[in-house]
Amino acid sequence: MIPFTKCLKVTAVALSGLTLCAQGAQVPQHIDIKQLSKTVEDVVVPLPNEIFGALNKLGAVNWKEHVRSDKGTNFTERPRIALLLGTVIADGFVAVQAEDAPAVKEIGQRVLALAKGIGVGNSITPHAKAIIEAADKRNWEGVRQELDRTQNSVQQAMNEVHDEKLSQLVSLGGWLRGTEVLTSVVTKHFSVDGAELLHQPDLLSYFQTRLHGMPEFKVPIIHEIEDALVQVKPLIDVGNARIPQESVKKINEITTRLGNGIVTRD
Amino acid sequence: MNAFVNVLLRGSFLLLSVIALQPAVLASVDDAQSFALQAAEPYVKQGFQVREDYWGGDLGSGEKKAVRQQLFKGNEYWFWLGTEVDRAKVSVHVYDSDGKLAEEPDGWEKGHFAAAHIIPKTTGSYFIIVSVEQSPEERTHWALVYGFR
Repeated sequence: MIPFTKCLKVTAVALSGLTLCAQGAQVPQHIDIKQLSKTVEDVVVPLPNEIFGALNKLGAVNWKEHVRSDKGTNFTERPRIALLLGTVIADGFVAVQAEDAPAVKEIGQRVLALAKGIGVGNSITPHAKAIIEAADKRNWEGVRQELDRTQNSVQQAMNEVHDEKLSQLVSLGGWLRGTEVLTSVVTKHFSVDGAELLHQPDLLSYFQTRLHGMPEFKVPIIHEIEDALVQVKPLIDVGNARIPQESVKKINEITTRLGNGIVTRD
Repeated sequence: MNAFVNVLLRGSFLLLSVIALQPAVLASVDDAQSFALQAAEPYVKQGFQVREDYWGGDLGSGEKKAVRQQLFKGNEYWFWLGTEVDRAKVSVHVYDSDGKLAEEPDGWEKGHFAAAHIIPKTTGSYFIIVSVEQSPEERTHWALVYGFR
């Protein structure tokens, strides 16, 4: 989600031009969207568990086969750590879905190590402890809440030191891992409703805009992601049409490749 | 020398004023968030997961703001709006990407709290319109939080 400090900036969607189709105290039944700014400055990046929750309602998912708790590579480049941190937090949500306490605990430790690597360890320590304690008690709702708090604290700490771009990479890493898991599940058990969960064109545009504003990060994986999003965009930006199985498979291939690129050294 | 001391004193006073005022301004948005979370509290007991992060800012009386949000079919969402200004009246409504009112009829407005409920029929972008309908303040801080289940 966009931190509130950013919201304080005057990036307001200009609603002065908002044309209301109905007048008076009644709630307008229609508004003219074209009059709204096309900016997605205020977009909130959904957490992976928001998508996983919707996926669960479509049928039983074997979350255990998607759990990933390996320690992975240690990076020194901050953009790479930020991306990895986002994917590891997303892995935490997968482990919660699978109710895999040992994996959750390992992920809690990994989150802390990565946060330290990026200079925001202090704000994460209590959350990492809380994640491990909640996993011990198998309090899955508590783990979910702490993972959300962790991501929020990491991003707030980064924003406070004007590392907003790294904060955005954390969100991007999480989104990519979430999309990788979503497409993996839907590829194996295709359903139209499952595929529809990929219909996120504005969110993808948001990430594209953010990546475009990071020319200073000369890290190959960032450019790979930028190129890959161009490939993914037409597959999910289908308007009212359905997203076919082939597209889901293609997106899974792309996000899996990116996922591997994020966790391994170039 | 006197002039120098004068400038130094004035400068220090200004600096202290800025330092003293800054937390107050931030506290107002934080307070607004506390009220939004207060509105969300009963829903947590119903299984809604409330996001840690939130939107916030300030609006003049009669002003609106839109935020765009990705929602997923299959989930159920509540958006809660709050402000710390007691006598303010706020509202929140949700529209789909075609500009059609998309919320359930059980949304509510109670003075400086308001809430909107949506069960998305499709996965995609939605517009959440927040408004300060009335307020005794020139600018009214607001915060919007959301939860899903």
